[in-house]
Formats: sequence, structure tokens, C-alpha cells
Amino acid sequence: MTGFLVKRFLQALVVLFLVSIIVFVLLHMLPGGPARAILGPKGTPQQIEQFNHQQGYDRSLPTQYFMYLKRLFTGDLGDSYRLNSPVFELLKQRLPKTLLLTVLSTALAVVIAVPLGLLQAVRRGKASDYALTGLAFLLYATPVFFLGLIMIILFAQVFPVFPAEAPQGESVGELLGDFTGLVLPVVTMAFGIVAMFSRYMRSAVLDNLTEEYVRTAMAKGQSSRRILVRHVLRNALIPLATLLGLYLPTLFSGALVVESMFNYPGMGLLFWNAAQGSDFPVLLGVTLVVGIATVLGSLLTDILYAVLDPRIRSVA
Amino acid sequence: MDDMEEPGGAPAPLLRIDDLRVDIASRDRTVHALDGVSLELAPGEALGIVGESGCGKTMTALSVLGLLPPGGAVTGGRILFDGQDLAAASAPTLQDVRGNTVGMVFQDPLTSLNPTMTIGAQVAEPLLLHRAGIGRKEAWARAEEMLRLVGMPQPAERMKSYPHQLSGGMRQRVAIAMALVCEPKLLIADEPTTALDVTTQHQILELIDTLRETLGMAMILVTHDLGVIANRVDRVAVMYAGKVAEQSDVRGLFARPRHRYTEALFAALPERAADRGTELHTIPGLPPSLTVRPTGCRFAPRCSFATEKCREREPELALSTEPAPEPGAESGARPLAEALAGAAEEDTERPGAGHRFACFHPVPYGDAPAEQVVTPPPAAATEPGDVLLELDALVKEFPLTGGPFARRRGTVSAVGGVSLSVRRGETYGLVGESGCGKTTLGRIVAGLEEPTGGTVRFDGRDLSGLSRAERRAHRRRIQLMFQDSTAAMDPRMRVGEILREPLVIQGVGTRADQERLTAELLDAVGLPRGAVHRYPHEFSGGQRQRLGLARALTLSPDLVVADEPVSALDVSVQAQILNLMRELQRERGLTYLFISHDLAVIRHLADTVGVMYLGRLVESGPAEQVYAHPLHPYTRGLLDTVNVPDPAAASGGDREPLRGETPSAAKPPSGCRFRTRCPFAEEVCASTEPPVSTPNGAGHQVACHFPLAATRLASAV
Repeated sequence: MTGFLVKRFLQALVVLFLVSIIVFVLLHMLPGGPARAILGPKGTPQQIEQFNHQQGYDRSLPTQYFMYLKRLFTGDLGDSYRLNSPVFELLKQRLPKTLLLTVLSTALAVVIAVPLGLLQAVRRGKASDYALTGLAFLLYATPVFFLGLIMIILFAQVFPVFPAEAPQGESVGELLGDFTGLVLPVVTMAFGIVAMFSRYMRSAVLDNLTEEYVRTAMAKGQSSRRILVRHVLRNALIPLATLLGLYLPTLFSGALVVESMFNYPGMGLLFWNAAQGSDFPVLLGVTLVVGIATVLGSLLTDILYAVLDPRIRSVA
Repeated sequence: MDDMEEPGGAPAPLLRIDDLRVDIASRDRTVHALDGVSLELAPGEALGIVGESGCGKTMTALSVLGLLPPGGAVTGGRILFDGQDLAAASAPTLQDVRGNTVGMVFQDPLTSLNPTMTIGAQVAEPLLLHRAGIGRKEAWARAEEMLRLVGMPQPAERMKSYPHQLSGGMRQRVAIAMALVCEPKLLIADEPTTALDVTTQHQILELIDTLRETLGMAMILVTHDLGVIANRVDRVAVMYAGKVAEQSDVRGLFARPRHRYTEALFAALPERAADRGTELHTIPGLPPSLTVRPTGCRFAPRCSFATEKCREREPELALSTEPAPEPGAESGARPLAEALAGAAEEDTERPGAGHRFACFHPVPYGDAPAEQVVTPPPAAATEPGDVLLELDALVKEFPLTGGPFARRRGTVSAVGGVSLSVRRGETYGLVGESGCGKTTLGRIVAGLEEPTGGTVRFDGRDLSGLSRAERRAHRRRIQLMFQDSTAAMDPRMRVGEILREPLVIQGVGTRADQERLTAELLDAVGLPRGAVHRYPHEFSGGQRQRLGLARALTLSPDLVVADEPVSALDVSVQAQILNLMRELQRERGLTYLFISHDLAVIRHLADTVGVMYLGRLVESGPAEQVYAHPLHPYTRGLLDTVNVPDPAAASGGDREPLRGETPSAAKPPSGCRFRTRCPFAEEVCASTEPPVSTPNGAGHQVACHFPLAATRLASAV
């Protein structure tokens, strides 16, 4: 297993290297450039030239990239132009908050989606199955920002149960302290995931119910309910594990929308603001983190697989 | 059916199925899968249910435990088990019976075990369900004990294993342990050995026998294999189209089948064919679909003895009422039954066990059974020609990769140096158990796999020396026929396109020529020409094999490599395909490399036989000689292991079935690969590869240090 992890880690490094190149090139192809963004429309050509020289933007792209990499290895991600603080510090501050948001909403989604999928599979073809399927498709087709708007209108304005704005604490602990403020962002984000996960769960359970080991369990005298819980559940969770890993990057982009809607002080909001202000070092830093998350996501899938499926465990 | 009650003396039945009717409804139709099935089983008795696919044998078994597939429902009749009607029982009552007083074993030991649960948890599960006072610890201890009882080596360690870590045979032992851990009164085994190799099959059947004796339980053994049933049960019910066609004690049935269907079924067995040269008896047509209840006898459309009466009225399952040797038996059924049973066998183990059948024109009493009609052996179909295919020290090794990064962990020796030659116009039968390398060998011959070593010479030319273009042209001379022809055909192509495709690829003729040839081929394999417009899935199993044969013949090849072409077929259909293959061989001068695990099929069809074990050819020679005087202990063991569909033949005491399991091809034993299972193995077998010798005369080769001497041989099986 350790050999497997080391190898996996090396693979991840290669992937991240490629990601950093792509991001770097893309950002430098954007019109305007950071100098214009920072100095504003009134900046003189001399000022811009001076800024570019100061930041190394007048050198060739490969040289710039090389310098960027060199700094990266020392943990220096550059400084934000807008926020006047090192990107590393910003990420250190914001990443845990975004993780909190994604972990909470994913956990909520799984807790809802798994029993929901089971229920739909058992009630296949009945009214409740159709109703839940309809609802799932509706949720799935609804954009996150629209869903967020409805949530805000319903639960912050019509029935003012929860605040429309997320808590603004410095640390994760402070955020958790103001729990009611977390409800709307977490639920909004979870809904979209529930829709997708429950569909997968439903079909995975249906597939498993036709398996012969289910018939064997019945032949032992096991009740249908216990067959679902004891035998089918674990087997049906295996495809869900893949989905979870693949879904992780999507979750981050979901967080971007949700965070900017609820003014949640996470990485998504950071990225959103940086993108609007051509804050290159921040954009690069966040993209790198999302890259790492993507790679970690697929690693997580492999580990989950090994936990759930003994057939994979023995090979690894 | 009160006449079934035995007037005193006989024990009360443990299970009594009374006029059982089962419908299986799907979206657009309802199949009357069982239509009035009545069976009886005494405590401790073993009943075999045989029949071809779709006859209702599995449905009968499943309905006892209320395990019918979705859409299936009991629409009539009773299933009395221990005085309780299971057909009308509630879910909790059924759950209480399942796994407790009735255990069940299914066909496929891989899919019928939960892949994510340990063996221990699965075997202990029924105990925890049905034995209220038992805690987890005791349940595990008992499960371990049960594993030991089913012959699982190192049961304590195996408790923690997962199903995929065990071989097929071991998995089936686990399934049996699971079914028996609560010591049921009845074991229902649905094709328990069909997915297993010959030697494993034998071991599992022996195990079930022993356990049945130890635990004193009754058994229903459902199988399509008459060989399996011949030696393992007391009574047999033959089913056809959702009904019991005939029912008798096992010896009586095999000695004298009365129903015309049973008779035809026996006659279709390659084992019973009088001689290699003869055609097998076939049953024309297909069983009825059962969506509509047929009028009259269900077998009548396929029966050569059917009359108007058969087509109008349905015969009852009853004891014979026709005049028998002893007169005056019209009404008194019992004396006749006794007379029949007594005449059939001296040792009637179950006095009064009647031989019932549902036929208006049964096989006349005292008539010689059909399969014993001996036709004079015809002259060999084809004179052996020159050598067409020659393999010399052929080796195929696959890298064994494991883990997520495809690290090479070793080598699987699939074919470990095989030399053989196939003559033009003959059928070379390659026989062996799964994993022996026979399929890989076939694929190499067909050019689908490159050998790692050795040479393949075809028609005098070394294939490795061919250029790309030559190889392409060469391909048309060797064609393949598969076990599952549907899987081997594009499901979205019509039959016409499928058959024409090889011609298009090879650029043979114009479109009109190709279509004409296709039509001729369909004629040749006995399919209507209209078949070209249909898709593969619209055909039955037998028809698909006909298509597979037609496709293989499109390019008029010299050699057809047939890989288990009849293994998925019912006996009667298998006979049709074998006859067809033989007929086409005669007409077209074809050469077959016929690969099969089925010794009887190979014996029937092949001129020359090669026996493979773990990548090696251990013995080869003329079929009759190899079967009559096997020289290799493995061949001998295989022949002794096979279940012969004849209860009388199996009782011979000098049979020595094979023990143990085939070792992994990743770590084949040194020297002789068979030595680990060989009763005669000595030190030299481990150190030196056995040389090839011909103690029985040229042509009959064996690779063994101690070939069986002619004197040590028993008579042929």
C-alpha cells in the first residue's frame, strides 16, 4: 500500500506540473495584463513598463515560468496585488473554510442521497419512485445560483429563519460557532449533489438487487430489509466512491458560486475577486490548489475502493 | 392426487408438491412456466429433476422456497413441506424455513457469494438468523466447523478470506457450507456443478453425497446433466415444457425410459451413440414457448410417434395401463409397478415406487432401449490425408501483472511446449479442464495470438515467416467457431451482413455473388434464407451455433477451430450441431480442431485426441485407442471421473477419480506438471520433464515417466 501511495504521489506531481504550465500560459494570454489592472486606466506607459520590469513580466514566458517554479519550491506563491499579502497566507486562511463548506455539504448530500437511492430502488416503478426521480431531475437541472436565490428568498426573507449571509469569522472554529449562518450555503450546495448521487445510488442498488448473491441471501432466510443493509449497501457504494472522487473538482467550482452568493470567506470568493481584478498570483495559487484537490480526489477514490472492495485490496 | 398416498408402511412425505402452477409475467407476455407439477419426497430421499433449459426444473426448485424471479408467482397448487403450505406462506414464515429447514445451493459459486463479505460472515449468517440463542462467537466457531466438514483446507484462515481469493470448487464448498450450517432437512441444489470442471464436479458431488448421509437430509438435485443424476439420486423426474413427463426410480428410468421424450433425450447423448461414425439421434424442432398452453401432449410436435390423440388430449402422468407381460393389470396399478420394478432390477430399493409417465404411446415394455440399436460402424468418413497443421514446441506465456501500475509479477505459462499435427480432413479433439491452455492454443492456431516460442506450420509453411499481405490472405484458410456465437457477433448487424462481412473484407466476388453464397450457406446449416434480415438475438441457442458455423464457413476455410461450440447447448440441440458439423465435414472436406472439456463429445466426434494438462499435451493418439487404453495417469483419471449417464456403470469399484485441484499456471510444478496430483509420482517426475514415448505403437504418444502399462488397464469406460 505504501509503494502504491508513493507511486501515486509521483504521478500527482507530474500532473500538477502540467497543470501549472497550462494555467500559467492561459493567464498570460489574457488581454490587459496585471499592470493595467493594478495601475488602473490612468497608469502611464512608463509606469506600466516599470511595473512589468519590476515583476519580471518583460522577460520571456519560459523564464517567467522558471522563476515562478523556483519561488514555488520555497513556498513562495507571490504576493497578491490587491490584498497586499502573500498568496500562501491567503490560501492558508481560506482553504480550510472552503474545505469545511465542501465537506459539510458532501456529507449532508451522502447522508440524504444513500437512503433516498435505496428507497427509490426498492420502490422502483411506484409513485414515490417517480416523484423522487422527478424531484432529483429538477434539482439536477437547476443552476446553483438559482437554487441559492430561492433558498435566500424562502428561508431568509419570506421565513427569516436563517441569515442570508455566511459567517465572517477568521478561523474555521469561528465559522462553526455561527452555525445558523452556515445552513443556507451548505444546503444549497448539497442539493445539487443529492440529485446526482441519489440517481447513481438508485441504479447501483437496482443492479445489485438482480445479483445472485442477493438470491443466496434470501435463500438463507434473510429479510429484504436486512439484505439491503447487510449485503447490497456496501456493494452499491462502490460506484458512488468513483463519483465522489470525480466530483471533487466540480465541488470546488460549485463552492465558487455559492461562496460569492453568500459572501462566504472561502477560496471560491478569493478566486472570484482575484479574477475580476486580474490578481495573477492569487489565481495561480488557487488553480494550483484545485489541481491538487483533483489529484487527491482520484487518490481518495482509489483508497475508498480498496476499503469497500476486497477484490481491489488484494491486488494493490 | 390421492392415489399418491402410500397405503401404510411408507413414511409421510417431507415435501409434497401438488399440482403446482407458476406464471412468470413480463411486460408483454406471461409464460406458464409450471403447469401442474406434482412431486413427492420422503425424508432422507434424493430426487433428481432433469430436463432441458426452459422445462421448468429450476422454477420448481425456486418455488419451494418462494424465490421465484421478478414477475413470477404461484397461481395454483400447494407445496407442503413438513405439513406447511409454503406456496401460501407469509414472508416471515418463508424466511424462517429458508436456510433453516431447507438449504439451497445455486449454480454459479462466483456470483452467488457476496464479493464484499468474508467467507466467515457469510457462512455464519444463517446461524445468527435462525438460532436465537447463538452469539457471534459461537456462530463463527460453528461456521468454521462447517467449513472443515465441507473439506475446506485451513478453515480458520479461510473464514477471513473473501470469495475471490478461492477457486471455483472451493467457492462451491463455501456455498454448500452456507446451505447446510443449520442442518436442514432438505437441500435443494440447482445445477450445483454445472459451472465446474469435471474433476471438481466429481469432488463436489461426492461431498454432497457424504454430507447427505452424515446429516440424513433429503435432497432435490436439479440438473440438465443425465450423467450427474445417474449416480446421485434415488428417484428421477424428467420435466418437459412445464410438466413432469416421467418419474421413476433412477435405475428403472435409465434401464427403461418409457416416455418418448426421455427416450429421445437418452438417444441424443453422445455417450450412448453406438459408434463414432453414427449420427446422433436428434429431437427435431424446439420446445413450445409456454406463453399459450398447448393442447394435447406438449412433446407431440417433436415426437415421431405422435398421433391425432396426442395432439388433442393431454396424457396424464400415471402408471402404465397397457397390457404388460402379466395380464390383468388395467386397474391395479401397484402390482404392475412392482412387476416393472422387479423386472428392471433385482434390488428394488423402494418397493412400490411406481414408474409413471405421461405418454399415450410409450416405449413398449420389454423393448430394447433405442440407444442400444447398434448400427454397423461405417467406414471412416475420410481417409487421413497429409499433415495440414503442425505445431512444434509451441509456447505461449502471458506476463502476469498485478497492482495498479501493471508491474510484472511473473509469467503465466498458458501453453508450455506443445507439439502436435493435424491431418487434412480429420477432426482433432483437444480436451482438458479449464485453464489447461486449450483455448489459447486454438487462438494461436487461428492467428489471434502470437506464440512466444515454437512454430506453427500450416500447409507446409511457417506462419511466422509470412508477410503482412500473406498473413491477411492466410487468415481465410483458418476460421473460428465460438462457444457463445451471440457474443461473437455484432448485435446491431443483421445476419446477412454478418455472413457477408468476411467476404467483403477479403474482397471475394461481387455483392450478388456474396449474397448467393450467403443463401447457400444458410441452406447448408439448415436455416431459412429469410434469416439474413434478422438479428442474432432473435435466434435460439442452437440456431446461433448454426449461424456461427455458417460464418466460419463463409470463406471456405481448410481448418475450422471450434472452441467449445456445443458446451452451452442442451443435449438434443447439441446432437443436431454435432451431426451438422460432421455432415459438413464430409461434404466439404473440412478439418476441425475441436476444443472441448467434454470427453463424451470429443470421443464422438474426434478421429485424433490430444489431452492437455496445465499447458502441456500429456497424451495424444487415435481417439478409440486413447479412450480404450489411456497411457497417461491424467487421462485415466479424467475418464474415471466423468459422470457416465448410466447408474449401472458407475458402481464399478476400480475407478480412481482425480483428486486435488489444478495448480496455478503462474507456478507450474517442475518436471511433470501433473506430478502433484499423480498417484504414481516419484522423484524423477519432479526433476525431469517426462519424455514422449509410444509404448502402444506409433501414433499414440504419451509424456509420462511411468505410462500406464496395457496390463494395468481396466476395460474402456
